[in-house]
Order: sequence, then C-alpha cells, then structure tokens
Amino acid sequence: MNDLLMSLPDQGEFFKTLIYLFVTYYKVILFGLGITVLLSVVGTVGGFFLAIGLTGFRTLEVDKKRDTLVIKILKVIGQKFAVLYVTVFRGTPMIVQAMIIFYGVAQANLFSWWSPLPAGLIIVTLNTTAYISEVLRGGLESLDVGQMEAARSVGMTKSQAMRHVMWPQAIKNALPGIGNEFVVNLKDTAVLSVISVVDLFYAVRQSASESYRFLEAFMIAAIMYLILTYLSSKLINYLSRRMSQTGEANL
Amino acid sequence: MRKVFLLFTVLLSFGLLSACGSSEQFDLTEGNTLTVGLEAAYAPYNWMTQTQNAFTVPLNGQPGAYVDGYDVVVARRIAEELNLELVIKAIEWDGLIQALQANQIDLIIAGMSPTSERAKTVNFSNEYYRSEQVIVVQKTSSLVNATSLNDLSGKRAVAQLGTLQNDLIDQIPNVTKLTALESYGAITQALRSGQADLFIAELPVAQSITAANSDLTYVAFTGENGFEVAEEDVTTAVALRKRDTDLLEAINTVLAGISVETRNGWMTAALERQN
Repeated sequence: MNDLLMSLPDQGEFFKTLIYLFVTYYKVILFGLGITVLLSVVGTVGGFFLAIGLTGFRTLEVDKKRDTLVIKILKVIGQKFAVLYVTVFRGTPMIVQAMIIFYGVAQANLFSWWSPLPAGLIIVTLNTTAYISEVLRGGLESLDVGQMEAARSVGMTKSQAMRHVMWPQAIKNALPGIGNEFVVNLKDTAVLSVISVVDLFYAVRQSASESYRFLEAFMIAAIMYLILTYLSSKLINYLSRRMSQTGEANL
Repeated sequence: MRKVFLLFTVLLSFGLLSACGSSEQFDLTEGNTLTVGLEAAYAPYNWMTQTQNAFTVPLNGQPGAYVDGYDVVVARRIAEELNLELVIKAIEWDGLIQALQANQIDLIIAGMSPTSERAKTVNFSNEYYRSEQVIVVQKTSSLVNATSLNDLSGKRAVAQLGTLQNDLIDQIPNVTKLTALESYGAITQALRSGQADLFIAELPVAQSITAANSDLTYVAFTGENGFEVAEEDVTTAVALRKRDTDLLEAINTVLAGISVETRNGWMTAALERQN
C-alpha cells in the first residue's frame, strides 16, 4: 500500500493508478467536489426563490375591469419578460450562457469581485431559475380550478387565494421536479469548467496533468459524480415521501 | 421577431459595455500584484501538483493546489526581477486570451506560441523557449523508423484543438486528419488506444508524455525532412494586453538576461521534477 503512494504505477495498472491519483491529489479533488456541491445547492435554492418570482410574473392576469392602464402595462411587461427569460435560458446551452455572461461582464469591468466562482454561481442560478419556473408553472396549472373558486367563495381575494391555497400546493407538487433539478445540476455544472471554475471535473482534469493518465482520472470523476447523484436521489425520495405523509395528515 | 430583436439588443449592450473597459497601462510600482494565467495542465510547461517545493506557486482560489513547470520558473523570475507579487490562476486554454482581455489576468505564460493570428489580439514578448516539432508513436509501430514526412503517408494523425500542431498535420502526405482533441491527455489516450497512429508535439511535451507512458516513443526529423515551420511557431512567448507596453519592455529586459543554456537547464529540470 505504501509503495502505491510513492510513485506512479506502470501503464496498464488501472486500479493502482486510480488509487495513486486519488491519494496524490485528494485535497484538490475533494475541494473540487465541494465546489460542485456548492454550485448545485446555491443554484437550486437560489433558482427556486427566483423562480417563484418569475412564475408570479408569468401567471399574472390582466383584469380588464379593475386594473388601471399603468398596472395593465406593467403586468404585460412582467409576463413577456418571464416568457422571454425562460425561452432564452432554456433555449441556449449553459456552456454558451457561461461564456457570454462571464466574459461579457469581465470585459465590461462592471464588478471588481468578478471571477470564475461567483460568476459560475450566478450562471447556474439564472439557468436553474428558468427550469424550476417551468416546473412551478406546471405545479400551478395542474391544480383543479375548484381550488381557486373555493378560496374565492370563502371571501379570499385573488392574491390571498394564490398565497395561501394555490402556491403551497403548487410547490408541494413541484418538489420532486425541483429535487430532480438539483441532481441535474450536480452533473451539468461540469460545463462551468469552461470558464475555469475549479469544480470536480476541472480538478480531476488537473490531477491528471502531470501523469497524463486521463482515463483513470476521469474514472475517479465518474465514481464521485455517481456517489453524489445516488445519495441525493435517495435523500430527495426520502424527503418527498415524508412531505406527502405530513401533507395527508394535515388534510 | 420581437424576441430576436430583444436578444440582439442585449448582446449589443454587452458589446458597447465591453468597449468602455479600462484603458490604463499596467502599473509597475514595486509590490503590485502580477497575475499570470496558465492551464496548469500542459506539462512540462505547467502542471498541477499537491506538493509544495522551491519551484511551485499556489494556484489562486484552489486551496491545496500548486503549479509547477517551466512556465512557473519563468514567471517567478519575471516577478522577482520586477519586484512584483506573483499570483497564478489556472485558466482553460481556450479562455486564456479572453481572460487577458477581460483583465482577469495580466500575463499569459502558458507555453503559448506567438502566432500572427494571436498577435492581432495580444502583444507577445521575445521568446522564452524554442522548441522542436516531433511525432509521438507507439513503440511497437513501424513509424518508429520514420525518417521523413513521406514515411508517415496515409497514417491517422491527431493534435490539440487550436494549436500549431493541428495545422502541421496537413503537411503529411495522404494523411487522415482526425478531429482535434481538447487536451494532450485525450490525445495520448487516442494514440494508446489505437484510434490514431501518431500525434505531433513539441519536443519537451513529447519527452514528458513518453516518459510517463512507457509504451510510447517520439521520433524527430532532421532539417528539410521534418515539418516546415515559421519562426514564430516554434517559439513560446509571454502574451500581454496591447496597451501594456511598459510591462512588455520590462519583461523583454528580464528575458534578455536569461541565456539559452539557462533555459535548457530549466526545461530539463522541469522534466525531471515531473517524473
């Protein structure tokens, strides 16, 4: 075992090389793993909150009788913005968004703190917002019209009905979709290495840079991604099962 | 249609914003930070390591990661002589020039050749290394005995995307040019798995790859039997922003003080550290 740590194993010693690479570069690889998890957590949580706002815009309904002209215009702008946002961010690959946003903002010298990691966090959040917004919209639209009618008939205003009746149910319905988005983010944030975010993918690529044993290095990446996605899927299944139980108890 | 127009407006505003970036020269005041960009994945010029030693520099934003290699030795010498604080960032190869333009880094010292294409966007210092172009093949291949490009006729060759070596492939008669790959790791893998018969690399890169992979070897050609290359293609130089002319002059002064013997010594030492 000690020999294994000392020097690069011969060609063809696949598993020994795998262990050698991991033992030699574990700090860098685990740091990269941490960055991947950070990107996915921030992206999914941030994306969820922004998506609530975006879906709110998207589902605005113009009340022809009561809304003033200004409100009508604002509502239409909000709606169109939300549709455009989702179209653009879902219609272009995240790798392209990363290049445009990172280098665009850097070139414009807008922020002194602008560097790959904060840029990556923002890009994955903006991207996830578009996807979760669609999930939430689906959650809202799947609710029976009767829910809204019932809420209105007990005297709630439209916004009260949305806040207390529609949204809580929509979010609960959307939870598996949001969890899925988290798992997708764990894998898809690998593309952010294109703007030099040192995530798991980039760290593993670097750890093969001295020995050129890329096959073994990427096998380490595959194993780590699999562990991450497997554990998260288990956790999400467990949480959504618990959610649905408490939900029924409340009814 | 309106959406397309809006998208254009967004992109256009990015373009306009980028036009009003800073235009001040790099400030050479002692103690200032000099940020150098490199791949940290192009041995023996630069590679990542977890070992800290007299040659390594920590990688910015990556705790526990250091970078070693010929480029790092050169970067240290430049920073030392100019009394600047050296910071090294790992940047993807394709993003290096963009990162320089976007002020994420001040210099590229990444084994980069000063091609006329690149010189349209950035300034290059005088050369800090001069290399020879060789081919890397499997030890068991008949190409081991090749003495001229004609002996490579009809073979499958591969190179790194966006490099000189990828253009040189076209000089091999009847060659099958495979899709360029993004790193030497992938290229080495392609050769070892038999997808390619050969790849072209600079001598030091070939030396380091063949040292790490005992089943591979490299073949050098003499004089006119080898690849026809332009002067600018076989040298590596430091890349800077066009506006940083004072820094360019200062770097050229430092480089002029490094003899060819010293350079070759540094390269040999880098190769030894790598293995």
